[in-house]
Amino acid sequence: MNASTIVANRPMGRLRKSIFHDTGSRRAIVSLILFLVFWEVGSQSKAWFGVQLPWIGMVPAPTAVFSAWGPLLLDPSYWQSWWQSSYRVFFGFIAAMILGIPFGLLMAVSKNYRDTVFPVFEIFRPIPPLAWVPAAIIFWPTQEMSIAFVTFYGAFFTVVLNVIGGARSIDVRYFQSARSMGANGWDIFRRIILPGTLPSIVIGATVGMGITWEVVVAAEMISGGGNSMGGAGGGLGFFIWNSYVGGSYPQIVVGMISIGIAGYISSTIIRWIGSRATPWLRMR
Amino acid sequence: MTNPTTTVLAAGSELNEERIVALLKRTAPFEPLSDQRLREVASIATPVYLKKGDLIYTVDERSDDVYVIATGTVEHALGPSAQATQLVKIVGEADVIGWAALLKNKPARLAKTTCLQDCEVLRINGQHLIEILAHDEASGREVMTCFAKMLMNEFTVPAWLSQVQELPRKVKVGADGLETANLTGVSLTMFRIAQWLKSPRPYLMLLGFTIFIGLWYLLSEGWHVWRFDRLPGPVEVWEEWTSRNPVYGISLFTPEYYTHIWYSVRRIAEAFFLATLLGVPFGLFLGWSRKFREYTFPIFETLRPIPILAWVPLAILMFSGTETPVIFLTTLASFFATALNTMLGVESIDESYPRAASCLGASKWQVFRHVVIPGALPHMFTGLQISVGVAWFSLVAAEMVSGQYGLGYLIMTSYTMVSYPTIIIGMATLGIVGYITSAMVRIAGDQMMQWRVRELALGGSQ
Repeated sequence: MNASTIVANRPMGRLRKSIFHDTGSRRAIVSLILFLVFWEVGSQSKAWFGVQLPWIGMVPAPTAVFSAWGPLLLDPSYWQSWWQSSYRVFFGFIAAMILGIPFGLLMAVSKNYRDTVFPVFEIFRPIPPLAWVPAAIIFWPTQEMSIAFVTFYGAFFTVVLNVIGGARSIDVRYFQSARSMGANGWDIFRRIILPGTLPSIVIGATVGMGITWEVVVAAEMISGGGNSMGGAGGGLGFFIWNSYVGGSYPQIVVGMISIGIAGYISSTIIRWIGSRATPWLRMR
Repeated sequence: MTNPTTTVLAAGSELNEERIVALLKRTAPFEPLSDQRLREVASIATPVYLKKGDLIYTVDERSDDVYVIATGTVEHALGPSAQATQLVKIVGEADVIGWAALLKNKPARLAKTTCLQDCEVLRINGQHLIEILAHDEASGREVMTCFAKMLMNEFTVPAWLSQVQELPRKVKVGADGLETANLTGVSLTMFRIAQWLKSPRPYLMLLGFTIFIGLWYLLSEGWHVWRFDRLPGPVEVWEEWTSRNPVYGISLFTPEYYTHIWYSVRRIAEAFFLATLLGVPFGLFLGWSRKFREYTFPIFETLRPIPILAWVPLAILMFSGTETPVIFLTTLASFFATALNTMLGVESIDESYPRAASCLGASKWQVFRHVVIPGALPHMFTGLQISVGVAWFSLVAAEMVSGQYGLGYLIMTSYTMVSYPTIIIGMATLGIVGYITSAMVRIAGDQMMQWRVRELALGGSQ
């Protein structure tokens, strides 16, 4: 990044120097600490000054959050929530990829197919995934399946649109030259369309993963806790909702941070797989 | 176009009337004309003999004449202002050049044409040609349509240029009662619609919708397939939606329906307005000032991966009432999208632009106002479009969990009250209203970024 990182060559020294001498990371640390302090002071304003600050005064303080987090780390039901949300995200996401990629590729390859299907696809797109929750609960036999469906629906559109966009952005000359050198339809698909769309599939997958987490949390809240649905679906969304209903407010923030971490980890995994799948992009 | 290397006519032989008529007959736009008309056209055509390298006309000259090439090949190089799909092209025998003479506003020449070989060219005065074409309305119009079509294929011309000259119309109402349309903007639009109707697209679209609704009907109401029979079918939904006495209380004729729509739209408008007001300046500063970014972006990035819906309980705790938490959640979602995209927009600006501006003496504020803001606009509007979508997404979720009225609330309560058709009505309404709002943002963006619209049209990307 800058000279100081090059000068320091001892392993520990390198780390220390890069964190404390790089203005960017130093400022990041300063700002995060200030943020935490502000949060703490704001939340404790009533206890410390007797005056409750608006809005922030109602938020549980960071110290309370971390002390609530400690025991939870040993609580199997907390990890159970992690697991439940993760596998819902995983299945919804995989389903969206498995159905969405061929669907999008087919639309990119065949004009007639696209003209037939795309308008119908387009009228579904503006309907937010969450609006499907009741219909999904009515249709699918188990609650698990309805959550999985809504999750799938959330990621599906992003994946499909990215596949189409990727296929359309391929230079026409590639097709022309391949054809003039005697490539058949399969060769063109395998050697041009697939690698050509792969980068946008990766982008679609990363964005789709983010949406999946959004949807899962909401679906768990609505179907598991929110209303008179009955039945505890579990998962981190439900964990948050349950903490709210049970009045243990610091746990709400624990749940929020946990989902943030989970979402971050999963998009990192997707990005890693993506960069493995498209090695030619790493060269740039 | 024709292959430029085949010269059918033997060079050197005189261009007599017979040959001219034969030539015109093979010239694409004149095909519809009868022999008699062709003879008339031939009578006003002046043969011109040119040497290799001669200039027929050049950019910005007056355009009075149309040229038909009899022999030889001509290079037709469009000037930069022409906005053509292809700048240089070689034309040959039986091709027409210089049809700017037939355009409504008689623009100056857009191209430079040079003979690549010794050429024989027919010069036809545009005004006279139009007069001849006006004699015979039906085929005359066909010729003009031909020109219009060529024009559309080869140029992305500005609107003021794209109109072919109107044929002077003989008033002819009565006998056959057929009022042939003018070749004005309206008829060009009609022409495009006609072309669209001739292509398979609308029919395939219709087929797609038919398959979708047919499947839905058969699965739910027709055959009562397992599980699908629990969903309301299209007929049931449609009857409920358009009924004056809806079974479940919500239809196009009940005021509650519009109350729900109004609540949702108002919330979206408020949240979107707030998010834009906060997000755009925030994003601009994030992209513009390194210091500001290094201090605030880490917090932004820490909060962003937390799904908006996870904020619901906290929002309810922080804000009293049912309305403010919903607005807060919706605003938060839009804010992230807007700010992030605006920042990306600023970062996408070519570094040499602000540098060049400062070199030319622009102050910091001027650079910000005239370089950074317009440069970030394209990304910003992408962000705003995403932001509207995200706003609907979180609004529906927030309304489902808390809040009163609104389409999300309608869907949720319809579920609890087992009025299933209303769920579908709510979903469809959400789709329509959501589509309209994002279309509005897109149109506003196109209005503000005419330069970009033009750029995209030139680049030919969709």
